[in-house]
Amino acid sequence: MSQLTLDGRQVPFEEGETLYQVARREGNSIPTLCYDDRLAPLGACRLCVVEVEGYGRPVASCTTLAEEGMVVRSSSPALEEHRRTLIDLVQSENPTGVEVDPLRGAQATELAKLAERYGSGGTRFAGSTSGRSRHDDPNPMILRDYDLCISCYRCVRVCAEEEGDHAISITGRGFATRITTEFDGFLEGSACTFCGQCVQTCPTGALGDQRALRYQGEPGDLEATRSICPYCGVGCSLDILTKGEKIVGVRPALDGPANGGALCVKGQFAWEWVQHPDRLKEPLVRKDGELVPATWEEALDRAAEGLARVRDRHGRHAIYAVASGRAPHESAYTVQKLVRTCFQSNQVDNCSRS
Amino acid sequence: MAGLAATIGRGAMSNPLSDMEKPDVIFCIGTNMTEAHPVAATRLKKAQARGATLIVADPRRIPLARRADLYLQLRVGTDVALLGAMAHVIAREGLVDREFIESRTEGWEALQRHLEKFTPEWAASITGVPAESIERAARLYGKAERGAIFYTLGITEHISGVDNVQSLSNLALMTGNVGRPGTGINPMRGQNNIQGAGDCGALPNNYVGFQPVDDPANQAKFEEAWGVRVDTEKGMTKVRALESVGEKIFAMLIVGENTLVSDPDAEHCRRALEELEHLVVVDIFLTETARLADVVLPAAAWGEVDGVFTNTERRPQRVRAAVPPQGQSKPDWWIVSQLAKRLGAQGFDYSSPAEVFNELCSLSPIYHGLDWETVAEGRLQWPVPERGHPGTPILHVGRFPRGRGLFMCPEYRDPAEVIDEDYPIWLTTGRRLAQYHTLTMSGRSIGTRYLAPEEVVEVHPDDLQGLGLTDGALAVMKSRRGEVVVKVAADDTSPRGTVFCSFSFSDVPVNILTGGGYDPITDTAELKVCPVRLEPVRLEPVGPSGT
Amino acid sequence: MQPTDSELIQRWQGEPAPLLPLLHAFHERDGYLSDDALRAVSQGLRIPLAELFGTVSFYHHFSREPGGHGVTRVCSGPICKLRGSDELIEELEGAHSMACSGRCDEPIGVLRGGEALVGHVGGELGAQPTPLPAPNPGGVEECCFRSIRVEGRGSIEGYRRSGGYRALEKARAMGGEALLGELEASGLAGRGGAGFPTARKWRAVREAPGGPKTVVCNADEGEPGCFKDRALLDHDPHAVIEGIAIAALATGATRAFIYLRYEYPWIQEKLERAIVEARDELGELAIHVRRGAGAYICGEETALLSSLEGEHPFPRNRPPYPVTCGFEGTPTAVNNVETLASVPPILDLGAQWYAGLGLAGHKGTKLISLSGDVRRPGNYEVPMGLPLDTLLHEWAGGPLEGRRIEAVTMAGLSGGFLGRDDFDVTLDEPALRAKGSFLGAGGIMVFDDSRDIFAVAREAMAFFADESCGKCFPCRIGTRRLTERLSGEGPTDPSIWKEEVEAIGRTMSQVSACGLGIAAPLITTSLMRLFPDAVDAHLKRP
Repeated sequence: MSQLTLDGRQVPFEEGETLYQVARREGNSIPTLCYDDRLAPLGACRLCVVEVEGYGRPVASCTTLAEEGMVVRSSSPALEEHRRTLIDLVQSENPTGVEVDPLRGAQATELAKLAERYGSGGTRFAGSTSGRSRHDDPNPMILRDYDLCISCYRCVRVCAEEEGDHAISITGRGFATRITTEFDGFLEGSACTFCGQCVQTCPTGALGDQRALRYQGEPGDLEATRSICPYCGVGCSLDILTKGEKIVGVRPALDGPANGGALCVKGQFAWEWVQHPDRLKEPLVRKDGELVPATWEEALDRAAEGLARVRDRHGRHAIYAVASGRAPHESAYTVQKLVRTCFQSNQVDNCSRS
Repeated sequence: MAGLAATIGRGAMSNPLSDMEKPDVIFCIGTNMTEAHPVAATRLKKAQARGATLIVADPRRIPLARRADLYLQLRVGTDVALLGAMAHVIAREGLVDREFIESRTEGWEALQRHLEKFTPEWAASITGVPAESIERAARLYGKAERGAIFYTLGITEHISGVDNVQSLSNLALMTGNVGRPGTGINPMRGQNNIQGAGDCGALPNNYVGFQPVDDPANQAKFEEAWGVRVDTEKGMTKVRALESVGEKIFAMLIVGENTLVSDPDAEHCRRALEELEHLVVVDIFLTETARLADVVLPAAAWGEVDGVFTNTERRPQRVRAAVPPQGQSKPDWWIVSQLAKRLGAQGFDYSSPAEVFNELCSLSPIYHGLDWETVAEGRLQWPVPERGHPGTPILHVGRFPRGRGLFMCPEYRDPAEVIDEDYPIWLTTGRRLAQYHTLTMSGRSIGTRYLAPEEVVEVHPDDLQGLGLTDGALAVMKSRRGEVVVKVAADDTSPRGTVFCSFSFSDVPVNILTGGGYDPITDTAELKVCPVRLEPVRLEPVGPSGT
Repeated sequence: MQPTDSELIQRWQGEPAPLLPLLHAFHERDGYLSDDALRAVSQGLRIPLAELFGTVSFYHHFSREPGGHGVTRVCSGPICKLRGSDELIEELEGAHSMACSGRCDEPIGVLRGGEALVGHVGGELGAQPTPLPAPNPGGVEECCFRSIRVEGRGSIEGYRRSGGYRALEKARAMGGEALLGELEASGLAGRGGAGFPTARKWRAVREAPGGPKTVVCNADEGEPGCFKDRALLDHDPHAVIEGIAIAALATGATRAFIYLRYEYPWIQEKLERAIVEARDELGELAIHVRRGAGAYICGEETALLSSLEGEHPFPRNRPPYPVTCGFEGTPTAVNNVETLASVPPILDLGAQWYAGLGLAGHKGTKLISLSGDVRRPGNYEVPMGLPLDTLLHEWAGGPLEGRRIEAVTMAGLSGGFLGRDDFDVTLDEPALRAKGSFLGAGGIMVFDDSRDIFAVAREAMAFFADESCGKCFPCRIGTRRLTERLSGEGPTDPSIWKEEVEAIGRTMSQVSACGLGIAAPLITTSLMRLFPDAVDAHLKRP
């Protein structure tokens, strides 16, 4: 295995690894803003620059491949000054004093954390701001608060490289660069499929999850519970976000074996049914032709009596059960076991034939 | 799934989802993957970006077709002809994998004879796909180093569903595209745990882990495990059960399924459910089906229960409760266990879903190496026959579960119902990206409702005038079984003479129309093809109010 | 009859690098790029619509408004500004400004539709041929300009008559290896500004695995104050084509592109005609002319490749370098017009001859575009090592009557300013580097004591801010912040002002991703070093 010197230590690396990957593996927290593990490195933010002996200028560690014998410094007074200047520059292009709620997206506070690390108050290098929010976009899912955009293009790249939709792109140039859809329109009607991957990679909250943001004022700590998407058969890993007993959002799991950080519009944004007022909250039994509320005891007794009555009248094969293809295994398993043990029949199926 | 079980012995996706980025030729047929399995489709898009060739066969010019390098727009229900002709060309041009055929398959000679009549020219006349395109597709797939096939309900929801699947199986076997990374024959499962429901034995012919109920050894095993006598006969399929209400079936327990909207021939289905002497429904909403029940038991939902889902690539994964259940709702396993106990059963004293799952693992040869702890991170794909086993990401490596892969010789048949003077238009059904199944979930979420607020029937713009229809106006769509009123949307996704509708919206119960036939082996309904007639709705003039 | 959408698409679909010519075809047919045109191109070339929409917006000269193609655009480069381009814009109805259009020797450059014109305040617009470079006063031997003044040199007959295509024949006889050896001995280095040894670049392409190999002639002369490539392309197109053919021979390339800047439309025809004329000389080599659409950054070789490929024209990360992974991932030699035009005389007359042209141990020559406040602006081919003073005073006639030269910019704008104390510098990279500047593409703009250097610096920085591609943070934000600070919009406290300007400049010059951001702050650092009083005077203004 090849070796290089990183901050005075000999460290191993594998062919094809970038200096950033080597440094991170060695526990080094080089700052970045345009970096997302899944995307081809862009080398735009320049925060990850490192000094390599024999090179005239610092190089972006995210785009520089490790080479045998390289002598690399990931931190120095000069590098830290460049990083501080870069953070101050980035901070200066956004309005000051905006508190970014973590509900906006999985990485939404990345810039805020770096600003804190470098003690950047957002007032140095003050000047014009760069982004132009699209609050006129009526879609109820993706907030396009581009006032906070820092042109790292992670959204554009994740849409192209990961989602494969190429729905958003870069318009204009230089400081006037903006994120756009085809013809600068709304997301609906564009090639956007509302998968939300752009929201989840945005490091500033310029893109936000509007469904989740309604719960900004909800009391309680934000907690995440790892689970699996309830829609199609792909089985995407996700985190259910909660505050107290309220579901406030969903985020994709970057390490999900089936999805590797992706979700679609349903998994990402269509979870409000869980705590919808229409949910059945109590057992119902039919009395005089009407379904009326009942206690669990009464309802279970009625349900069991009815099944037993039919068994007694028409035989054990007269009862049929349909298990759910949506509920977990424990549901289907107990249903078929009930049929096979209570009625000693195989009169059970699931909904896969429709 | 029965189609593959017969030919290669396992009716499940042969390769992992991550393999979807590896093929050099991808053949998608009858799958609207970008809408029905959007996250899986991202992997195909990546494969394509890396240079893979994408062949798409579908009656509708779906988004995936628009991305395809070669698109075959076949007439609905003609898959056997198309696939047979592809196999014909592959055989004729010597693009077969002789070594694989000799060492791993049986029935090749019979298939070769059978394929003789499937000329591309003949298939072109049946499918409407030009013979040259069929030949091109055959050569692309036949010459692929790693060719992978993906399909969904567009293949199975036909009277010829099994024939379609076996035609695909023939293609994969004759070219040796099985048992290696980036190859395979891959049915994509539509619902989050439909694979799991089968794994758990919720099937009339199998115990957990696909152990046939008519095998005496299995019967003995479960009598021993459960301490009861078990039936020696298979049960009936759900489709047959619904048909037999009032004759053989008099009570039903339906868990988490809106049968009335999702199943074909909805009118017949409603009469059947109404005729039951006793109907118990376990669900999270008061669905159209639940409204017909004698007892409705409120289930705890996703996000409220702990459990396991198995995805389409055979990967059991943990779901976890993040919030308490709404109201008095309870987990399904608790509800069913309470019922079972009231019916006098033993063995339902579970105190946690972990106990249920561990019992299931102990009885399933494909889950035997798993338990509640080992599925926590979802790293293993079944079969996991024993503890410490690394799982089986790719099936059929070196050997098929049935030994040799079997070539079958399906004949082409017209759909159960074909268009005629009275019903001159093909209706095909499917899913849309922003909505899911019968809308109990996505219909109650604001974002998805925004994207697809109502059902429409997509009619080719060039057909509108001839049918007297107007874009955006209402139309009556009639089949031999019933009629629905639905808004017309001009859309050139489907070819002329074919219209499309989803089955998601209960106010447009499209499955009133469908159900002309069933696959004779699986009893899967022909939901994908239904001849219909479309007429404009003529609104009566409304008189002045208050008169 | 106008071609239909599908005819246009069919014309270009199967061609290499089809996007730019196809967009130009629609632009010229319709007078702008309509939504429908973009939809048709997106479908025809299978480019996602949003990306196409974004990429089109990057280029200054693609218009999305009806009639936009025909709008009059007036050069607002530093020299044209001195000559009154702002007033000319006022005079011409509906006229817009444009970045330096490469006509600093005959201001003011004007574009109207496909026409390239020249105008001046209070006068008529008119077409004007590119001035021939004047012979230098001492009769100093030249390389590129050696035969440019020969009558009829632009036609193949005239070119052959004056020794043209002899070098190519010689090169064929020598074979690739010998040819590279000869070139190496000459010391020829990239004359577009980067100064990389040409023989090494070509050898790298020759030895790189994969193919087909590609030669790209960078004719996107966008640096303000540079117009030397225009003179070569206009008066000696076959020299460039012969240079390309020799490059192809040396590298093993089978295809070549000339990426021509938008502002030289008539040269496209000239080149295409010359390529047809030269087909017997070129054999299997296909040379395609592709015209840019107005983007300074496309002069950067990797941005140029992105642009050719129809991608968003951001510079790419290096490595991999174009020599192994260039146009569509193939090994590619990207060379400036001047470099390629130097090759035939070098092969013809020998490496020693070329090396000997330089002064005081420096090898070869360099074209300089000299403009601004001197008596004889124009293109000069100077021996490497010629003192700047000699060029300014002896060759170009010195300052205008009663004036004194206060400052010059180097490398167009990219080298920042040199002041009077620096004029003894010799024109070669080591000497200029020692002064904190560089020769670059060879544009030198001269400002006398009547000019407001601070205002020149502000315009220069505004140009860089306008042309910053928007990819890397230090350049994208830094050029804007420096422009603001030169426009009175920054902090008013002089010490804070200077601290900020220095800090931004330091970080830009050290960590920017490409030459634009690295070079731009030379403007402010040289301004503060050479003209502290001018800076203080501006900061004191209310």
